[in-house]
Amino acid sequence: MNLDWLDAFLVSGLFYVMMVIGLALLLHLQLGLARIANFGVVGFWGIGMYAFGVLFVKVDWPFGEVWAFLISVVFGTVVAGLAGLLVGWLIADLDIDGVLVGTLGFATAVWILATTEQDLTGGALGMGGLGFPYDIGSVKANETLWLVILTILVAIILYYVSRVHKSPYGRLLISIGDNEPLARSLGKAPFQTKLWLFAVSSAGMGLLGAMYGVNERFLETGNLGIDITLAAMVGLVLGSTTRMWGAAVGVALTVGLFDVVIQFYLPLPREWYTQAIPVLREMVFGGVLIIVLLFRPYGVLGDMRRDKLMRRMHGG
Amino acid sequence: MFEAKGIRSGYSGVTVIRDVDLSVEREVFAVLGANGAGKTTLLATLARLIPLMGGEIWFNGRDVTKLRPWETAALGLAYVPQEKGIFADLTVLENLQVGAMIGTRSREERVDEIIELFPDLGELRTQMAGTLSGGESRMLACGRALMQDPKILLLDEPTAGLSPIYVDVFFEKIREIHKTRDVTIVLAEQNAAKALEIADRVMVLNLGEASEVLDAAELTTEKLKEGYRI
Ligand SMILES: Nc1ncnc2c1ncn2[C@@H]1O[C@H](COP(=O)(O)OP(=O)(O)OP(=O)(O)O)[C@@H](O)[C@H]1O
Ligand SMILES: [Mg+2]
Repeated sequence: MNLDWLDAFLVSGLFYVMMVIGLALLLHLQLGLARIANFGVVGFWGIGMYAFGVLFVKVDWPFGEVWAFLISVVFGTVVAGLAGLLVGWLIADLDIDGVLVGTLGFATAVWILATTEQDLTGGALGMGGLGFPYDIGSVKANETLWLVILTILVAIILYYVSRVHKSPYGRLLISIGDNEPLARSLGKAPFQTKLWLFAVSSAGMGLLGAMYGVNERFLETGNLGIDITLAAMVGLVLGSTTRMWGAAVGVALTVGLFDVVIQFYLPLPREWYTQAIPVLREMVFGGVLIIVLLFRPYGVLGDMRRDKLMRRMHGG
Repeated sequence: MFEAKGIRSGYSGVTVIRDVDLSVEREVFAVLGANGAGKTTLLATLARLIPLMGGEIWFNGRDVTKLRPWETAALGLAYVPQEKGIFADLTVLENLQVGAMIGTRSREERVDEIIELFPDLGELRTQMAGTLSGGESRMLACGRALMQDPKILLLDEPTAGLSPIYVDVFFEKIREIHKTRDVTIVLAEQNAAKALEIADRVMVLNLGEASEVLDAAELTTEKLKEGYRI
């Protein structure tokens, strides 16, 4: 296949955007429906990435590479899901401050673990040895195929989210987020419902983390900072926390702008990209978060549900 | 069918309900009392939303004292709180649908029945529940609880703050629900006159203590005023 027309950096930019869309969709289930503000997205993503990477690289697999790879991916996903179960169990009955501290604390714990457990993770120096479970010719071709696989995964997540929106489970999540005392008498334990939500969405985040690790072929503790959480959160909040397409639109407008449009389509001096742009990016993300929350708390798409409320209250 | 024996409850150390006994069976049972008498606390305790400090609760021959609210709900107890009885972020129809997590009958069938009972809700189907008027949300709260196909329905001042005409309509609905759906109703109420119109038996709460149970047919509002100062 001739991929000359495709810029390798563009592929990795698109990979990043697509991955953040996936994370924002999962965060949407937690924040938009159940109103649980998870500030530790990077922790679940990172634990999935590291659990996958460590198992794949450190174990002497007696059978083929592909099987080792698949088993490791499943392992990363399951470990992230279990972490979600544990964190969910800790925070499910806490108020917003407790959830903030608990989820941020978890993300920090993952970072500390990855940094200090050098024998396993390579610590701050990082760990190589990861790769695609296939080889279809060039690096660029491999990466492009991996982007396609990620896109399929994100499409599946989108489909799952759309199913949740229409299902009794989704209505239950909204009920719990909206009025938990009343939701207690609906016949399903809110605590368990939240645990399940956390386990499933965290597993999804972990899977995305594992896929990212493969794409980079390298695990770095530098990835475990606030960046990923901020990107998913800003995108989602900008789009709309409560609407399914909010995650995709918001992430495209923020991460897409910086990591694809500005990176590839603006004729800016080269040195800007290493110095000014990353700083500007974080500043803009932080600023966007503040401005959106102040002036348009339900995002650019608005909250269809709440907009109707406003129109009616103001006689529109 | 539903029985509370010597229950005590309250909030973080403050005892509000003191040794109340109550036993209801296929009837409309009214709990009367002035502001602050403890009606809401009593109903929330019966729904297992407030922890018991003492006493037992039995439901259909089963000790439910230690059950959680979703467990008693699954057994057939539905509760309509005095305030915040709806999910503001869901539409009217979705509010009804979340009520159908209990029971086996089809959701659509139940929704149709509720809309037949409260035709106004049919018109408002797609509206966000947070935008409903006071009376409309009362109907919705009641409809949502009935979606659970309950055997017993706890209603906390369902008509507080409604216009007189609405109050009349609502009380008729309560009677109708009891008759046609064979639901036992425990109604907390300040409006003694209206309560006497539909209740079979009455109990008066005063500072968390219950009067003896009275036969509604033998009571008048005057007697209640004299004997119980309500
Ligand atoms: N959350 C709470 N914490 C502490 N005390 C409370 C709480 N809720 C109610 N109380 C107290 O319990 C007592 C009974 O209140 P309750 O709401 O049960 O009365 P009520 O009979 O329902 O009154 P109303 O007719 O005004 O609704 C009151 O003295 C009230 O101040
Ligand atoms: Mg009350």
